[in-house]
Amino acid sequence: MLILITGATGYIGSRLTCLALKRGHDVTILSRQRPPSVAASWIAFDLLSDNPIELPAGMDAVIHLATTFAAMPSSTGEMEIVATHELIKAAQNTGAKFIFVSSQTARADAPTAYGRTKWRIEQMVRAAEGWVVRPGQVYGGSLRGLFGLLVRTVKNLPILPAFMPAPLIQPVHVEDLAEGLLRIAERHDIPPNIYCIAASEPVSFTKFLNEISRTRLRRWRGFVPVPVAAVNTLAFILGESLRTRLGLERLQSLFNLPLMKTQSDLDKLGLTLRPLRSGMHRSGNDRRRRLLREGRAFLTYILKEHPNSVLLRRYARATEQLRDGQTLVLPSLFLNYPVFLSLFDRLTWGDPATWEEFSWRLDVATILAEATPLGAHRFLGLENEQGALSHLLLMTKAVANEAFWRALRIFFFPFVRFTLGRARRIS
Amino acid sequence: MTSDFDVIVIGSGPAGVSVAFPLVESGLRVLMVDGGKKSDVPLPTTNFLSARTKDAEQWKWLIGKDFHALKMRDVVSPKLRVPSQGYVFDEFEQYNKIIGKNFNIFGSLATGGLSNAWGCGVSRFSGKDMTAFPFPESDLEPSYAEVCQRVGISGGMGDDLSDYFGLDKYTHQPSIPMDSLHARISQCYDRRRKKFHSRGFRMGRPRVTVFTKDAPERQACDYSGNCLWGCRLHSLYSSADDLPKLRQFKNFSEMSGFVVDGLKNNDGIWFVEGQNIVDHERKSIQATRVVLAAGTLATTRLTLKALNFRSSVRLLSCPTAAFLLWLPSSLGAAKEPGFGLAQLSFTLALRENITVFGSTFPTTSLLRSEFVRHVPLQRRYAIDLLKGLMSSCVVGNLFLPGHLTTAEARLNEEDSLVVTGRYSDEVLPLMEETKKKLRRIYWRLGALLLPDGFTIASPGADIHYAGTLPMQKSPRIGETSQLGEVASLDGLYVVDGACLPCLPGKSHTLTIMANANRIGVALAKRLKS
Repeated sequence: MLILITGATGYIGSRLTCLALKRGHDVTILSRQRPPSVAASWIAFDLLSDNPIELPAGMDAVIHLATTFAAMPSSTGEMEIVATHELIKAAQNTGAKFIFVSSQTARADAPTAYGRTKWRIEQMVRAAEGWVVRPGQVYGGSLRGLFGLLVRTVKNLPILPAFMPAPLIQPVHVEDLAEGLLRIAERHDIPPNIYCIAASEPVSFTKFLNEISRTRLRRWRGFVPVPVAAVNTLAFILGESLRTRLGLERLQSLFNLPLMKTQSDLDKLGLTLRPLRSGMHRSGNDRRRRLLREGRAFLTYILKEHPNSVLLRRYARATEQLRDGQTLVLPSLFLNYPVFLSLFDRLTWGDPATWEEFSWRLDVATILAEATPLGAHRFLGLENEQGALSHLLLMTKAVANEAFWRALRIFFFPFVRFTLGRARRIS
Repeated sequence: MTSDFDVIVIGSGPAGVSVAFPLVESGLRVLMVDGGKKSDVPLPTTNFLSARTKDAEQWKWLIGKDFHALKMRDVVSPKLRVPSQGYVFDEFEQYNKIIGKNFNIFGSLATGGLSNAWGCGVSRFSGKDMTAFPFPESDLEPSYAEVCQRVGISGGMGDDLSDYFGLDKYTHQPSIPMDSLHARISQCYDRRRKKFHSRGFRMGRPRVTVFTKDAPERQACDYSGNCLWGCRLHSLYSSADDLPKLRQFKNFSEMSGFVVDGLKNNDGIWFVEGQNIVDHERKSIQATRVVLAAGTLATTRLTLKALNFRSSVRLLSCPTAAFLLWLPSSLGAAKEPGFGLAQLSFTLALRENITVFGSTFPTTSLLRSEFVRHVPLQRRYAIDLLKGLMSSCVVGNLFLPGHLTTAEARLNEEDSLVVTGRYSDEVLPLMEETKKKLRRIYWRLGALLLPDGFTIASPGADIHYAGTLPMQKSPRIGETSQLGEVASLDGLYVVDGACLPCLPGKSHTLTIMANANRIGVALAKRLKS
């Protein structure tokens, strides 16, 4: 497909361009400056100029991401509307789909000029039978856009505000959003309409900040309650130009975010969003990390020493291939101190499916561990001296160890039952 | 009408190559078709123990890049978990449309068939074994001689099993040295053999198709212990090794990667129909005679389909069990690489017509994980225990005669072969008796049958299938003639296990080969005159 992307160098645009190229599409970029080293053609385009633009013939879709900044004076909004109008006309001339990325704040009576501008453009796009996408709070990936600002803020401030009452936001990972946009461009069974792409269940802004500090930055941050009313009063006192410049206006629009009903739109696009914690992880997905953690515990239990990274990755790959990469969530005591797995190895516990799975995974860890040079020593004992006595000692020790842990089991039985009752499988 | 070939042989396993040699040598135009699957797994390059300590990539041949061993975790035989042998069994059931109900189904689409994954044990059927055969023992004699010459047998040295195996005059390869554990058992046996005889127990070296002398196409065994994992030297016989010899004949053609699914006769010409397993292109080839050597189950299905025979036919299969022996006196013995297959064989006479046949194997080249699951200790300490124990252990397997499995095969409405089976009521008591007797006998031989160390496998796990289309003097529908020709379908011959009228506990592959050779010789004579 021939896809044209405006704002392709931005936070969402760069991810979208990457994804489209990876899918084998022919991408043309419209931006002010030529992007460095991207396998896409480039056409100069400025949202703040009203030069008529001409698009190459045969375009299949135009995805319009370019936007003026929310903090700019409201007059720029007018220019953006004119430029977008030109773009829609150009898209219509080549017969391309027009997909406009709007904002969750888009409303006729939005508190910000930004939200009002977006709303007006939406009307234009809808009139021209185009598609509108309203993303929720975009996060993940590189530190750009509002997400970048939030991460930097959390990094710099030791204490964070917990607004009361807590505003609710609907996060969406930048990769998931890019996927959604591309699906609209690629598929023919999605009628022109407004599509909201964001988590269907909102989370509080405080939880979002907390997730940034814990999962993304791996730091602890304290929160102090800040009443929303206090922020509003301050904004009123400071006046319009000052509150725009200080970003208070943006903050205020956060307090007034309209809740979006996204589930039906996500279903139409066949899109499943990653959970916030998974997406907030630096790699954008912490599934593998959880698998590696599990593998490390199981392999250490079997080998009695830490496995090397090659073996760990092999465990992760095996579970990915044979078990869809699901993790068996065990209490962290067992993950951090694998020797305690002795408390319930070979014991029947929990629901049969989970227990079966645990057994399968330990067997897999056993086989994988054995098929390494390290495993050859651990399992064959080639370095052990020969002779009946040393071997008899080895066996006696094994049986004594078994007896010891069986005795411990009796004491810890209620504890083990309780913690394992909560173990489950997650993807 | 003229046909493309005189004879089409379906299958390149032991039966297929054995029937092909006499046909090709007589100058007939022979086409051999097979599933053509081949292995792409790297094999260990040094002896097993040093490969285990040094080869960082050992998991590729121990587990497989596609985690073959993990996928096959629940099957009983370790052989089925070996990555380099995955191709041998791959897709057989799907392509040949065979459904097992309470019955294990194995077969092969590989070049060389199941002989790529066998234990290399061979024996000759005695006159007593052959009472159900429609021809005298002597008819098979020249064929045994011919086939033994080709496969190369070692282990014949005049011992207590000489009569049982009946092959000593054909063994041209020097014997394989025993490991220290088996040597110890053997010494104990030799000291009191009369006593064991009186208990119906006899022991001797297994006769195996292993080269212990170098030959152009196969090298001598180097005792590296990689038998199970894949022998680079081709010391172990696979019928795939015979193909280069067949290819030297101009009148021999091959079509690899072709799975037959239908046989039709028109005006005395046979049409062999099937598909290529790579591009699924359908094809039909013609010949005046067709020889089925696709393995008992696949052959049975093709024959029943050609006959449109929908009643059940009897299937013979040997009830089998595995056991673990511990030699306390060898505790702490040095771990050394050596021959990885059977080192000692035994027979145990239970009844007049029921003799158990079994062998014991070294455990050096088996993964300890195989045993961890069976030790009633936590895995961590089970590994410790096995580390001390296993170097003084040997494993064994045993087979009961095939008539003790009550199994049948039937062609259903969708033309799939449904195999149902269970052990007859006699099997459990017989196994129990065997276990008791072996425990006592091995105790006298200095070995302890470990508690829980005797596992009866489920029906069909033996992979000794036979007797669905038995040779009879006057065959009825669903049976075959003395020459394996299917009753009412002239020109269609069955030469693999399917045509054996009986199946004793002893290894039957060599007899299948000899019988196929016998039919090949007779067929060549018939077609030439």
